[in-house]
Amino acid sequence: MSSPGQPTTQVDDAFAERLVALIRDDVAATDELVEPATDLLLTGLVDSLGVVVIVDWIEQELGIEIDPGDVVLEHFQTVDLMLTYLRGR
Amino acid sequence: MRLLTDLVDRTRLDAVQIDGADRALTDGSSSLSWHEYADRVARIAAVLVDHGVRPGDRVAVRLAKSCDSFASVHAVLRAGAVMVPLDPLAPVTPAAAVIADADCAVLITDRRTAALVAEFPGVRCVVVPGGRELPPDQRVEGVDFVGEAEIEATAPADRVIVDADDPAYIIYTSGSTGTPKGIVHSHASALAYARAAVEEYGLDSDDRLANIAPLHFDQSTFELYAAPLAGAMVLVIPDPVLRFPASVSELVARERITVWYSVPYLLEQISDRGALDDRDLSSLRWVLYGGEAFPPSALARLMERLPAATFSNVYGPAEVNQCTAHHVRTTPVGPVPIGRAWRAAKIRLVDPDDRSIEIDGAGRVGVIAVSTPTMMTGYWKSPNLTAAATFLDPDGSRWYVTGDLAREGDDGALEFLGRVDHQVKVRGHRIELEAIDALLREVDGVTAATVVVDRPEDDDDRLVALVVDDGTRPAVTEHIVELLRARLPRYAVPADIRVVDSLPRTATGKVDRPAARALVEHTD
Repeated sequence: MSSPGQPTTQVDDAFAERLVALIRDDVAATDELVEPATDLLLTGLVDSLGVVVIVDWIEQELGIEIDPGDVVLEHFQTVDLMLTYLRGR
Repeated sequence: MRLLTDLVDRTRLDAVQIDGADRALTDGSSSLSWHEYADRVARIAAVLVDHGVRPGDRVAVRLAKSCDSFASVHAVLRAGAVMVPLDPLAPVTPAAAVIADADCAVLITDRRTAALVAEFPGVRCVVVPGGRELPPDQRVEGVDFVGEAEIEATAPADRVIVDADDPAYIIYTSGSTGTPKGIVHSHASALAYARAAVEEYGLDSDDRLANIAPLHFDQSTFELYAAPLAGAMVLVIPDPVLRFPASVSELVARERITVWYSVPYLLEQISDRGALDDRDLSSLRWVLYGGEAFPPSALARLMERLPAATFSNVYGPAEVNQCTAHHVRTTPVGPVPIGRAWRAAKIRLVDPDDRSIEIDGAGRVGVIAVSTPTMMTGYWKSPNLTAAATFLDPDGSRWYVTGDLAREGDDGALEFLGRVDHQVKVRGHRIELEAIDALLREVDGVTAATVVVDRPEDDDDRLVALVVDDGTRPAVTEHIVELLRARLPRYAVPADIRVVDSLPRTATGKVDRPAARALVEHTD
């Protein structure tokens, strides 16, 4: 957990792996394979509560606050899209 | 107009001067004009008839929200058949149970489900709108597969004429023994509802409705039937978008939606996480909500954010579609009433133990009984259940007894007070707790079980199962979760399974549900 002024966790490969693990182990509603390009929403793999869990975890890991207006399909449909969004902030 | 079949029909649309080029349906990316909608409906209907669908046959529809899901519903009706909507997100086992119970020989679904058709014995034809051909190794012998190519190559069918009292659709709902029961509605019932809705909410061809409810939830009848009656456009919000309140609000603002209808849960999500500060939702003039209570403070907050909209609390079990409405004119401080009898509906409060006794006098509690033109014909193939739930008044009118308790307020509006049984609503979904209890007891090693609803103040409602096991089976919790996930829709699977030494019991030995609920609240 980071606090203001402290160096925050980077959005690197290790972070990406932890994110995939979170989704696979704590969020996914089914046993389907979760990979960075997997569509999480179309098949019902992640529901709206799952989205909240993911956003909360990212905010804690990176010590950031994500604007609710940014919590949209375009940024969270796949892990790759999440990483693209986070790196572009 | 006597039949739902008349609604999305080229001749009728032209006759009532609905501009065929105007948008009728959109899912945010693709759209259909009225003529395209009618054409699509008529082609899918023709395919059904070509593959042996006869008037009165049941056709199951298992499709996620899309333009084609709406077209498929109307196609089944156009063929004179009975539409049986299925939850597209439910596991195979409950879907198969409904298909078998309704005796559906034809299934309209997506490609993924089509590959699983062997799980639905009795289905001899599967239609996949927009679907490519299935490869030979995925086809099942004896089952016709119809994809998009055949739909497009088939000439539009004429309407098949049936009686207004004939069944139009069957909505399946949970039963207390665990077996779902089918609620049959006729064309007459559905049209009576559509007309009442158009009048009540002043719907016309300038309106733009958002469809949030899935096809198997009767709130969708508003968008399916009232919208085309008024010539109003429908925005079908896809499931992936529904998971993001900020995406939903963006789509609703972009499409200038005028009427919204959903369960309170989704409205609360949009209020909390829908980025409303950055959205212009001034186009909304009506926000209808129903299915469960809207916490007053959350409702007040949302009303403040949407000053141009009138909020309407809609009440009605699926057996009668809608039977009361209460338009919220002042800031709610306590629970909002469900209101007065809606349109042509008549309501009585009756004694829970003797329905022939009417409860008179303001303030006294009784069970809501309804007589309405929007009433079901009955439960599918269950005359006993139908007889148990309905009665004939001496004046000849038919009444349905809900399991809902209410009291008349000082102003004559009804206040909802809860259930007489153990049916609950969780995030808008109707769940029979006893049905889940029964399933839990089927697990080897489980000797007793009960499911309660935990409604924490700052978190979502959820189901918690308390289970007593005899210790003979290791990892009993995992087995329970596996069984429940295979047999129940996701919203009915308890979020938490707790193994306890014993269940709290009353003096007569029955499970003491209030005590079980308290146990869950206090150990959190």
